[in-house]
Amino acid sequence: MKELKYVGKRLIREDVYDKARGKTQYTCDRKLEGMLYAKLVLSEKALAEISINTDKAEQVPGICAVYTHKDVPKTKYNPHNWTPGVGAPEDMYILSEKARYVGDHLALVVGETKEAVEEAASLVEIVYREETPVIGLKAARENKENIAFEKESRCGDFGSLPLENLIVEETAGSTQAIHHAPIEPHIALSAIDETGNLVVWTPCQTVFMVRYHICSLLDVPYTKVRVVKAVMGGSFGGKGLSVVEPACAFASWTLKRPVMLYMDRPADITATRRRNPSEMTVKTAVDKDGKILGRFIACDFDGGAYYTNASAIAMAFSKKLFRLYRIENQTIEARTFYTNTTPGGSCRGYGSPQAHAVTEVNLDQIADRLGMDPCELRLKNVVLPGDDDPAGGTNLGDARIRECILKGMEEFHWKEKRAHIREKNTDRYAYGVGMACATHGNGYKGGYPELTNVYAQLHPDGSAEFRIAVHDQGCGTVMTMQQIGAEALHMDPYKIKVYEADTFLSPYDSAGTQASRVTYVCGRAVQEAGEALLEKIKNAAAAVYGWEKNRIEAEDGMLKYPGTDREECRTYGEVSKEYEKKFSRYLHADIEYEPDSNPGVYCAAFAEVKVDKYTGQTEVLDLLAVHDVGQCMNYTLSEGQIEGGAQMSLGQALFEEIGYDGKGNVKSRNFSKYHMINAPDMPKVRSLFIEEHNTDGPYGAKSLGEVVAVAPGPAVANAVNFAIGSRFASYPITPEKVVLWLENKEKE
Amino acid sequence: MLLSCTVNGEKIEKEIDPAKRLLDFLRDDMGLTGVKEGCSEGECGACTVILDNQAVTSCTVYAGQVMDREILTIEGLEKNGELDILQKAFIENGAIQCGFCTPGMILSCRALLMEKPNPTREEIKRAIEGNLCRCTGYEKIIKAVECAVKGEVQ
Repeated sequence: MKELKYVGKRLIREDVYDKARGKTQYTCDRKLEGMLYAKLVLSEKALAEISINTDKAEQVPGICAVYTHKDVPKTKYNPHNWTPGVGAPEDMYILSEKARYVGDHLALVVGETKEAVEEAASLVEIVYREETPVIGLKAARENKENIAFEKESRCGDFGSLPLENLIVEETAGSTQAIHHAPIEPHIALSAIDETGNLVVWTPCQTVFMVRYHICSLLDVPYTKVRVVKAVMGGSFGGKGLSVVEPACAFASWTLKRPVMLYMDRPADITATRRRNPSEMTVKTAVDKDGKILGRFIACDFDGGAYYTNASAIAMAFSKKLFRLYRIENQTIEARTFYTNTTPGGSCRGYGSPQAHAVTEVNLDQIADRLGMDPCELRLKNVVLPGDDDPAGGTNLGDARIRECILKGMEEFHWKEKRAHIREKNTDRYAYGVGMACATHGNGYKGGYPELTNVYAQLHPDGSAEFRIAVHDQGCGTVMTMQQIGAEALHMDPYKIKVYEADTFLSPYDSAGTQASRVTYVCGRAVQEAGEALLEKIKNAAAAVYGWEKNRIEAEDGMLKYPGTDREECRTYGEVSKEYEKKFSRYLHADIEYEPDSNPGVYCAAFAEVKVDKYTGQTEVLDLLAVHDVGQCMNYTLSEGQIEGGAQMSLGQALFEEIGYDGKGNVKSRNFSKYHMINAPDMPKVRSLFIEEHNTDGPYGAKSLGEVVAVAPGPAVANAVNFAIGSRFASYPITPEKVVLWLENKEKE
Repeated sequence: MLLSCTVNGEKIEKEIDPAKRLLDFLRDDMGLTGVKEGCSEGECGACTVILDNQAVTSCTVYAGQVMDREILTIEGLEKNGELDILQKAFIENGAIQCGFCTPGMILSCRALLMEKPNPTREEIKRAIEGNLCRCTGYEKIIKAVECAVKGEVQ
C-alpha cells in the first residue's frame, strides 16, 4: 500500500503542553460570574420509602435552593438511551421519589459557596422507612419479577449434540462490579447564555445524548440547549451515560444562574454507574482433536436499581461470543436482574471483559484435559478473515486473531516458557504463564443507528478545520483525527483544527464517542471529508489558474503544477483567497458518512505470573499484548491505550471490586478501600501490532480503545491456574482466595 | 490567622482560616488550579504539591501547617517560560493522556529528583506509588522520568 506520511507516526498531541503546565481548564477549574455550586444528597439506604425535611438546610446562609423529588419535572428518562430510537424503558427521575440503592439521588443542594453547600447537604434530613433490599444476583434470582431483560441468542443446535460421545468441560465463574475510576470525578457546569439558551459544559461522551435527556426532562426544544464537551479527566465509560447533567441543567434553568454540580470520590463510586457484575456457566463440547463443536452459556447480569443498560449489556455480551471462535452450535442465555445497588452502565469493553473472563478460562481447562497446548487449541478454532457471524451479526472482516496468537507465541517464547516456567518454582513461589484471546467491535453498524457528519473548511491562512462531534476522553482522539485529516489533505496536521463536540457547532453524530466507533467510523468520515476537500482545492486551482486538474499534485499544503517553463506552486491558502475573490466560493466539504461494515478487532495477551504461596499475592512479571488493529494511527497513543487498558484489566483480574454488605452498603467508597493498580504493581507491558491495512476504516485501521481492556485479565487467570493448579474463574483472584484454595488443597 | 509562606518562589501573606485544606487554599485563594482533587483523602495523589522539597498530598495538609514554608505547584515549575525537563519529558514520551493526574505525577517525580538525581526504575515507581492514573498504565510516565534523568529530552 501507499506509504503514509502522517498516519502511523508518533506525533505529539497538542493538548499535552497545557496539561503538563497545569494550565488546562477542566470543568472544576472554571468560575463563571455569579456561579453557584450544587451537590447531590445521596441515599444511605438501599431500599426505602423516604420523607425529606429541607428546612434546616435551607436556613444555611448562602443556600439558594434545596430540591427534592417534589420540585423536579415528573418526567422519567433512561440515561442509557443516547437517541430516542434506542428506546430502553425509562424509569429514572432527576431526583428519586424513593431510595432504590445506596447512592440514589434524593436531593440537590444549591448555594453560593462550596462550604455552604457542604454544610446544607449534611443538614438535609431524610427519614427512611426501610424495606428488604435485593443485594446480589443470588437474592435477585429468588423472584422472577427482578428480571429486567432476558434473551437467548443462538446458532445451530447445541441441544442436538451427542454430548455423551464428546469431551465436555463446564466452568462456572463470575466478574465483579468495577468502578471506572477516572481521576476527575463527575462534574457539570450549566449557565444561561446571552440569548437565553441553556448551555451545559460536561466531560461527557455524547453531547447529543445529553441534549436529548435535558430537553425531554425540562421540556425545552433541542434548539435551545447547547451541550459542549468539556476537557475530560478520563471516563472509561463512566461518563458515557448522563449522570449529573440533568440535575445541573435543571438547577441552572430554574434559578437562571450558572451552576456547577460536583461530585466527590465516594459519590463517584456509589452514585454514578459501574461495570455490571456477572455470573455465568460455560459448557463447551469438543472432539478429541480439540475442535469445538458446541458451546452453551448461561449468564446473569446484575443491572442495579434502574433499567439503564439492562438489555444492552446482555446483548453486547452475547454478540461477542459468536465472533472469536468458529462454533457451529452455540446457545447463549443472558439475563439482567434488577437489584438495589448502583445501576450498570457502559464500561470500557462493554460486555467483552465479562464474556472473555470465564470462556477463556474454560478453554484452558479443555486444553488441560486434552493435554493440548492452549495456543494450539485456540489456533484450531479461531475465526479467519472473511468469516460470517453465525448469529447474523456483521461480517468479521479481516479478522487476524490467528496472526495475533502466532506472533505472540514467538515473541513471548511461549512453548519454551510453558514447558520450563515451573522450574523456577521454590517452596514459597509458584510461577506460571497463561494467555487469552479477545474480540470487540467497531461501532454500531448492524445494531443501532450508525452515522456521522463532517464539515471541513480550508481557510485563506492555509489552516483547515474539521467539525465532527468527537469527544477526546484523554486517549488522543483529536490528534488521531488531525493525522487522518493531514493524510487526506496532504498538509501539516498541526495546521488542522478538530473541534470537539458541541451541539451548536458540530454536525449531527448518531452515537458519540463510545462503542469503539471513533477511529473506525468517525476517522473514516474525516478521511473522506479531507479527500473531498482536497478535490475542491484542486478544482478551485484549475478554475483560478487554468490548470489541468489531473496534472495537479498536492504536497505539504501546496499544489504543484508542471508549468511550461518551470513548476508552479500555490499554497492552499492562496488558492482559497483567489477562489473566494474570483468565484464567490469558500473551500469546504460536507460529508454524511455511514460505514458499510463493522468487523471484529482482536487481541491475544500473554502473561507470566509469580504467586506467593505464603501470602496468596500474585505478581504479574510480564505482559505481552498483540493487537489486530489494521493500521496504527499513532504508535505512542496506541501503546498508551494498551498499557492503560492492561492496568484496568489486570485490576479486574486481581484487585478491584466495589463490595457490598448484605444491606447494600458500599464497602469500598474510596481509593483506600478500592484497590486500583499503582505503579509498583504494574508490569511492563509489551505491545505488538498486526497491521494488514485491510479494512473500511481510515487507511485500513480498526478500533483499539476498548479491546485493550479485555484479554490481560483472563491471561493472568490462566497463568495463576497454571502456576498452582487451581481453576479460578471468579474475579478478582485475591490473595485471600488463593490462600484459601491452597489450604483446601493441602487438606485433600 | 495571617499566613506567611512562599508559593512558587514568591513570598505571600494572606489572612486564612487555618483549618482550610492546603488544596483549597492553593486552588481558591491562590488561583493555582493545576492542583487537582481526585479523592480528598490522600490516596490518589492528584493534589500533590512539593512542600519544602517533599511531595505531599495537599488535601491532607491544613493551610495552617505551612507557615514560613515553601510550596511548589505545577505552575511554579517552569522558569522564565522554559519548561522543566520533566514537563518536556512527559510531553515527548506520551506520558500524558487525560492529564488530570499529570500535575501531581510530575511533582512527585520532581521531588524524587530533588532528593535523588539518578533514581533507579524501582525508585521512580516508589516515588509515584501514591499517584493513581487510569489512562497510561504508568509505563510511559516511568519512561519519561528515565529520559529526563538521562537528559534524553529535546
